[in-house]
Amino acid sequence: MRLTTVLLAVFAVACSQAPPPPPAARVPSKLEGMWSDPPATAVGTFCFFSCTDAGIERLNALLDEPANDKRPFPQLQAEAAKYQTDNYLRPRMTEAALKTYPLDPADDPGFLRCEPWGLSKQMFAPHQLEIRRVSDDQIDLRYGEWEAVRTVYLDGRVAPAGLPSRLGHSVGRFEGDTLVVETSRVAAGITWWDSQHSDQLRVVERFARSDDGDTLMLTATIEDPWSLREPVVAKKIWRWAPDQKITPYDACEPATEFKKGTSEP
Amino acid sequence: MRLLRVFLLVLPLLVVTAAKTGAHHAFSPVYDAKRTITVDGVVTQFRFVNPHTMMLMEVKNKDGKVETWNVEFAGRLNLEEAGWNAQTIKPGEHVKVTGNPAWQSSQRMAFVKLVRADGTELEPGRAQRLSAIEEERRQRAQQRTQPAK
Repeated sequence: MRLTTVLLAVFAVACSQAPPPPPAARVPSKLEGMWSDPPATAVGTFCFFSCTDAGIERLNALLDEPANDKRPFPQLQAEAAKYQTDNYLRPRMTEAALKTYPLDPADDPGFLRCEPWGLSKQMFAPHQLEIRRVSDDQIDLRYGEWEAVRTVYLDGRVAPAGLPSRLGHSVGRFEGDTLVVETSRVAAGITWWDSQHSDQLRVVERFARSDDGDTLMLTATIEDPWSLREPVVAKKIWRWAPDQKITPYDACEPATEFKKGTSEP
Repeated sequence: MRLLRVFLLVLPLLVVTAAKTGAHHAFSPVYDAKRTITVDGVVTQFRFVNPHTMMLMEVKNKDGKVETWNVEFAGRLNLEEAGWNAQTIKPGEHVKVTGNPAWQSSQRMAFVKLVRADGTELEPGRAQRLSAIEEERRQRAQQRTQPAK
């Protein structure tokens, strides 16, 4: 009887000091950590900001053509980008969007007034992307460019009432090791290919790590009934970069001396 | 005032694609990517910041008057990828800088290349990236010419 009492007392103490059990809902993610600029390959560089399969296929065709061996890479890159614009992006745009396309780069609010990018450019921002699991219900996507932070809710919560926001409302889920993020309620803004979009923009992003673990691939399906006749599927690549860090983005100065009517060469 | 030597050279239609300053804004409204200029002077300030790193330098013009030049680089986020830090360029250094001139300002350029007094060169990380791609292209061409097994 006495022994039983002692054992029960020891058990009670042990129970009171035991660490809390790990959250059952937590899904281990192979995506967490710091990513940055893509590998120094032809395709990685072509997709430095964003790209499409049409552009990648054109670039590979140009690289495989012996007559192009002596041409500088930036020239082939520009040719593939033009092909991508003319044969993939333009045909998907509505008349309304084509009226102002391409937008004058000197009218970019980020350039003129240091206004951070909206979702459609931010999600393809060059340089660092840190994927951080904040809680069972939340993942943060932290970008070097503009020090932007997107919150992805994993509990499927509905968007809060009110006006659309710059980066929208994102909910996510895991399909195997792939993180799928759906974003809506994005304020009207500018796409990564310098076209206007409306507040009806919806984006589905799929983040997947390569089998060797070295790269992260984003496939984003972008829909907007005002600016697009059919969805644009865009891609981006990051390289695993655990030593990289996000540094303060605090020295932006609004443009004062510039020329209008130029476009990227 | 430190004695400065002026060296100003305009090279038309070179390095067309070499001077993108990073992602924060488009390059073309500010700089002429089809021309490069070179100035020779002494660094007075190097600000390793985002979205664009900036350098001020004193340059003596052809009339012997000292002018302040402003050199714009990619941002710290970008340059750290290439191994740069806040001490990569130091105030007091005598340097020769090549860049794309600004459309609207005569004493401003976007960085392309810097040569130090000892002759060593500093290039943006893009140069390393392009040389890796050229190696990839050489291997690709080699595989193309090898007979299929």
